[in-house]
Amino acid sequence: MAISGDLKAFGTFASYHPKHPLRPALSSSKVQLGRFLNRGSNDLRITPKWPHMEPPSSGTAQNDHRCFGIGGSKLSSATISQDAEGFLLNAINMNFFDRLSLAWRILFPTRTARRKSNARIAKQRLKMILFSDRCAVSDEARQKIVRNIIESLSEFVEIESQDKVQLNVSTDPDLGMVYSVTVPVRRVKPEYQDSEEDYRGKITGITYKDTGETSETVDVTFDFFIPNEN
Amino acid sequence: MASPLSHALSSSQYILPPRALLRLQALAPRRRLRPQATAAAVSAAIQWNRKPQLAGETPRVVVVTSGKGGVGKTTTTANVGLSLARFGFAVVAVDADAGLRNLDLLLGLENRVNYTAIEVLNGDCRLDQALVRDRRCPSLELLCISKPRSKLPLGFGAKALTWVVDALRSRPSGSPHFILIDCPAGIDAGFITAIAPANEAVLVTTPDITALRDADRVTGLLECDGIRDIKMMVNRVRTDLMRGDDMMSVLDVQEMLGLALLGVIPEDSEVIKSTNRGYPLVLNKPPTIAGLAFEQAAWRLVEQDTMTAVMVEEAPRKKGFFSFFGG
Repeated sequence: MAISGDLKAFGTFASYHPKHPLRPALSSSKVQLGRFLNRGSNDLRITPKWPHMEPPSSGTAQNDHRCFGIGGSKLSSATISQDAEGFLLNAINMNFFDRLSLAWRILFPTRTARRKSNARIAKQRLKMILFSDRCAVSDEARQKIVRNIIESLSEFVEIESQDKVQLNVSTDPDLGMVYSVTVPVRRVKPEYQDSEEDYRGKITGITYKDTGETSETVDVTFDFFIPNEN
Repeated sequence: MASPLSHALSSSQYILPPRALLRLQALAPRRRLRPQATAAAVSAAIQWNRKPQLAGETPRVVVVTSGKGGVGKTTTTANVGLSLARFGFAVVAVDADAGLRNLDLLLGLENRVNYTAIEVLNGDCRLDQALVRDRRCPSLELLCISKPRSKLPLGFGAKALTWVVDALRSRPSGSPHFILIDCPAGIDAGFITAIAPANEAVLVTTPDITALRDADRVTGLLECDGIRDIKMMVNRVRTDLMRGDDMMSVLDVQEMLGLALLGVIPEDSEVIKSTNRGYPLVLNKPPTIAGLAFEQAAWRLVEQDTMTAVMVEEAPRKKGFFSFFGG
């Protein structure tokens, strides 16, 4: 029995291209992943959360495999099917009430109240205060930093205006304390400019809409550089 | 005597077993294969007779500081000092607060302090007359700086304290193994005085945000002064609040401050009771959990060891009747 269903994806950061034979879908960084299966009387609406695929019924196991078997991407579909398999094996072993509670939790997910706990608020505040305490730069140091940066950059570029150079201190959850200097640049100094002759005929920005694996036609766009004659 | 100790050990989740126990478990199956084990390994077989092995050069000058007041510096100095003395090391505890003095109260020796370091510096008495020896534990000696009813003693600075420590090191009865300096609160002149002669620091803090901020500042100052070996001791830990996610966990504290962990002391009402009696906590029989934690911290201090914090498990949510409905 052919699977008549369209593979729409909703969920977070799915990095694979769902390749349905009838409709090539473009994938972006946030792809919507969901599945509608019409198969006789089994009308199921499955809302899996990436990467935990949680279809609450074990009857559609085969369909899961086959659907994802169509998509030809490497790792992601394999892990999905493995996760679905493992989950389904567990689901089979659960008794009725466990499955009922699982279904309830899937259909009506509880809002996590853990973000608001006192310890987390304290930790957040402490992080902010420690960063600002540890890296408080004096005004004199700021001026010197800006001056030194302007000096070193002037060797390579022409700076638009020295007054517009700004030093910003911020915190980043991954990097910690981040110092950023914004420098408006008019242009690069001639001796450091990339020669335009190197770019003659260079092809960049290649994007494939259709790689021709299934449809035997190729749909591609690219950019071709011709230097300005002026 | 072994049973309350092991029971208390197993019931508290922060206290890791001392290395002797771990070594014992590791050694037991191998002892038959290697009968020529080293002396340290053989002596580890009987835990209670084992002394920790002193690491680092004697005397070890350790300053107990915190920045914020009231987190437990003096309690830590008293109890860790007494634990060290019970292990057999010669310990001198110095109360470096030149204005207000508390260490003698905690040790129960307030009636016996006649001379202080100021008089030693003035030449009114000898150094050994100013040292008060504890009768319960003869290896511990107390040295105070300020006299209770005199005017504020000015002029006791970093040089003076360094002189005192050198005098202790070169005294005729032999240099002590440990010199614990109890630092006053704050980061002003008293703090600078206290950290001057020290090589290592024990930073006492509690898991709340005010103490941690001050502890961070103090860490910066200590490192500026050249003390790189800073270990942290987290005091007044309430595991019930941590489980309910109301207090920052020790893991969070360690992550925030980035210091090696020397010990974790749970909040214990015995601390207040023992202060009132003048009987230090670690001498209690049967030992309380705070006393045990202090002992283990002292052990780690001797061996220059650190511990790793463990995560407190969340309390399991009570499942009501409608729990499968997400309640």
